[in-house]
Amino acid sequence: MKYFDELKRTMEWAAKKPEVVFMGQAVGVPGTFMFNTLKEVSENQRVELPVSESFQMQMTVGAAFSGYTPISIFPRLNFLMLAMGDLCNIVDKLPDIYGAKPPKMIIRSAVGPDAPVHPGHQHIGDFTDAYRKIFNNIEVVRLDEPKDIFPAYEEALSPDNQKSYLMIEVGNYYGSK
Amino acid sequence: MAGIVKQDLIDFENEIAELFRAGKIRAPVHLRSGCEEQLIDIFKDIQAEDWVYGYWAMHIHCLLKGVPREQLKQAILEGHSISLCFPEQRIYCSGIVGSLAGVAMGTAWGLKRQKKSGNVYLFTGDMGAECGVFHEAVKYAHNFDLPIKFIVEDNGVSVMTDTRKTWGSDKPWFKDTVYEKNILYYKYQNSWPHSGLGQRIAF
Repeated sequence: MKYFDELKRTMEWAAKKPEVVFMGQAVGVPGTFMFNTLKEVSENQRVELPVSESFQMQMTVGAAFSGYTPISIFPRLNFLMLAMGDLCNIVDKLPDIYGAKPPKMIIRSAVGPDAPVHPGHQHIGDFTDAYRKIFNNIEVVRLDEPKDIFPAYEEALSPDNQKSYLMIEVGNYYGSK
Repeated sequence: MAGIVKQDLIDFENEIAELFRAGKIRAPVHLRSGCEEQLIDIFKDIQAEDWVYGYWAMHIHCLLKGVPREQLKQAILEGHSISLCFPEQRIYCSGIVGSLAGVAMGTAWGLKRQKKSGNVYLFTGDMGAECGVFHEAVKYAHNFDLPIKFIVEDNGVSVMTDTRKTWGSDKPWFKDTVYEKNILYYKYQNSWPHSGLGQRIAF
């Protein structure tokens, strides 16, 4: 299967779990390159949010506390930077400051595509290595190959796994791998 | 929490102060006073199944939520005063201003969407209530009628910074707005410093 098809298949598989909810901008309606991976997911599991990355990250943690397993979508790593404080000081530190397991949640983001159209330098950042250095508890998973995608989500969503994940896609691979 | 009276709360903070003065706590403590009666009144409505979120000065709130006195004292002795957490009593705190407004709102959103029982309460200071994410959380909660109450505890300052003066406003942003009904607001005078006792401690 190709990169996009694997992502779409994986999202549809994840959506079969009733506790999973997809949150973010362009989740309920089209608007980003990621939307087409979700278009077959039931509308009830796709929650369109206003644009405010910090607010979205905090809401994602709260949703996890309430019993959901959120898959929270920040389409580009540049946008995710606006939620970095919450990601670093809350999500990543919860196990350290509370002595508790991290919230079961997945942050889905991507290195923005720069082809066939270059969207500008505020949209194509790749901060994967920086995230790996900053976090102590969040699992950072880089999805470079189609075969990486399903196993990564399968592990993250397995019932006995209680971790927070940052899954990083590469936008250019949507049409090339 | 039934049975707790104002003097119990004052005595607890005094005991923590003495432990801190004696160098028994190698971490920041943020003691509070002057808010005991208001909090006792507020917690009359907060049930065991409800969620409480707050920040770095939450000893009194923890006692009123039902955290056993000795368990709370032990957590403070272990250095956790700044971000107390007791999942059994559903109380979570953070040492970062504004960091739990959306978390509390997200919990309320999840409870309502899943048709689960319980309410959420977020306690914040006057400066935290001016933060952007607090405003966003209140707006979302108001517009979607979520089961959450925001409590603003106004002692006039953030550490030693005058909240009203720095924002250039003589009243909180939510006063006389539609969002005011989502917020329980009270003023108090804290007799303790923001952190610690205002004196050097020898360890």
